[in-house]
Amino acid sequence: MAMKPSARPEARGRRIRRTRMFPLWALLLGALVMALIGTSPYYGGTDSYVVQLIGKFLCFAIFALSIDLIWGFTGILSLGQAVYFGIGAYFVALSMKINYTLTHPTRYGGKIPDFMEWNGLTELPGFMEPLMSTPIAIIGALVVPTLLALFFGVITFKRHIYGVYCAVITLAESLILQDFIIEYQAYTGGFNGITDYGNIREPAFLWFIIAVTVAFFIIARFLTHSRIGTVLKSVRDNDVRAQFMGYNVANYRIFVFCVSAFMSAAAGAMYAAWVGIVSFLDTGPLFSVEAVVWTAVGGRATLIGPFVGAFLVRGLEFMLSGSWFADYWQFFIGALFIAVVLWIPDGIVGSIGNWLRKRRTGSVRQIREDADQRAHDQQRDWEPAGARKPGEEVV
Amino acid sequence: MPLLEVKSLTTVVSGYRILNNLDFSVEENELRVLLGPNGAGKTTLIAMITGQFKPTSGRILFNGQDITGRAPDEIFLAGISRKFQVPNMYETLSVYDNVMVSLLTERKVFRYMFKRVTPEENDRIWEILEFVDLADKANDPVDTLSHGERQWLEMGMLIASNPKLMLLDEPTTGMTEEGKRRTADLIRRIARNHTVLLVEHDMHLVRQIADKVTVMHQGQVLAEGPLAEVVQNDQVKAVYLGKGGAH
Repeated sequence: MAMKPSARPEARGRRIRRTRMFPLWALLLGALVMALIGTSPYYGGTDSYVVQLIGKFLCFAIFALSIDLIWGFTGILSLGQAVYFGIGAYFVALSMKINYTLTHPTRYGGKIPDFMEWNGLTELPGFMEPLMSTPIAIIGALVVPTLLALFFGVITFKRHIYGVYCAVITLAESLILQDFIIEYQAYTGGFNGITDYGNIREPAFLWFIIAVTVAFFIIARFLTHSRIGTVLKSVRDNDVRAQFMGYNVANYRIFVFCVSAFMSAAAGAMYAAWVGIVSFLDTGPLFSVEAVVWTAVGGRATLIGPFVGAFLVRGLEFMLSGSWFADYWQFFIGALFIAVVLWIPDGIVGSIGNWLRKRRTGSVRQIREDADQRAHDQQRDWEPAGARKPGEEVV
Repeated sequence: MPLLEVKSLTTVVSGYRILNNLDFSVEENELRVLLGPNGAGKTTLIAMITGQFKPTSGRILFNGQDITGRAPDEIFLAGISRKFQVPNMYETLSVYDNVMVSLLTERKVFRYMFKRVTPEENDRIWEILEFVDLADKANDPVDTLSHGERQWLEMGMLIASNPKLMLLDEPTTGMTEEGKRRTADLIRRIARNHTVLLVEHDMHLVRQIADKVTVMHQGQVLAEGPLAEVVQNDQVKAVYLGKGGAH
């Protein structure tokens, strides 16, 4: 039997304190940063290395954002998200390569991509012909990875596989794709990747990347700070409780996984067009894990974090790339990840957020101690302060 | 027809019969207390009803439909909400959001996507928060609550889900006398509007709220009836209340 919905007077119309979905200062700051990035070709020169890096980093940031959506907000640690980035990139790169060779014949006069020629093909395989059309290539770059994510999501989450097992499975997916690309080099370029297909490096395309970045950020903000975002966080916090509250946890996970794959694919597609080179490394586990590190460094479960992390870590790599240090870069990435997990588990942005919140309301520990004291004063039951910190588990 | 009907339910786990041909039923608008010593199978029965585990044999009928072996989220949608023994909630969300997520609405992903909290739902959440005495803490993250407050919040979440049958598994675990008294009061108030099946150890608490009790022992129903009659039952005295009777 239901309780009557008529609210008592004191309950009616009360409001909860909530952060706005798009605070004014954040909009202004975001617009400023994006304007700075977008105008960089005009004062830096379109072909300058820094401008090239900025476009690349934006794609990486979107990629990190997509990982943050599943890891930070839904609690799925995927170590194979580069699968979707890579497939998106390969669709666009292949399409551009095929069209490029029509006007730029190979050394032997063939009108097919050079790597196909090296591998004994004399004409374009039939299944690749649709890629000559750019719209089809773009649709394929976005739809195929999303459908693949749907497939992997269903076979993983419907069987209630998550946590470490999910991380291992996604890692394996990424390894498989990488091996597949190396094995079928007649169609994928193998170890050499796909190169020499020109690129789209012009201010208009940079603005396009910025527009997509902003659009994805708004979608992510909506997904995580609306009502469904609360459900996603509840799945992250306690999937058992969510399931006993009637949520089909698997479906929510699959949904977010697909959204994330779509964003990764879009990032990969723009990356291929902007940079002009794609290799098997862009689909591999190493790249996936690196993006997870960017997210962790910037701050997972914050949406700015992935941007900060991607720009900071990749920027650092760029600055140190000329020195002796470059040889030890992978060591450094690993050490950085360990350090972040150990000392600043909330990442840079998350830690700043915590510090601001602490200044405003007092730390969680302080609040808890106050609650204990109050409970003690009122002779209520209480538990010792700091007994357990939720969300501590990394995976 | 009873609201919940458990028919000859048997559960065997590694050769041990935890539930043994159990027959049990709950009528609508009842406040039923499930008693029994440790290992009697009370929590297992709750787990079977809510779909956490599948029974070896037997059937569970709820509101006229067979829910045996269904998934927990489907059983919830059929109208059964469960409170866990240890407070079980969403740790990083605020008290308000914990109740909000529990409100009974459409649960499908794509229908949920553009949902916002309507003014009626907002009022309902505040009403529930006042009902469980947590309105002052609506903004606080739940990890700042005391143990008792967490138990009450979880009961508030169950109220929000507006179930036909509410299963409360030892809601007073780890509480002081004052906490237990307030919890008993809360359960009595909940039972005015809901059918409640309560698993409880504490005889003091049971005395305050029970009208009809079921005593379980070794996976079977040992006795059933008004509390005053059941505590006079010799078998019950022997297995559960001890030789000296109720303490």
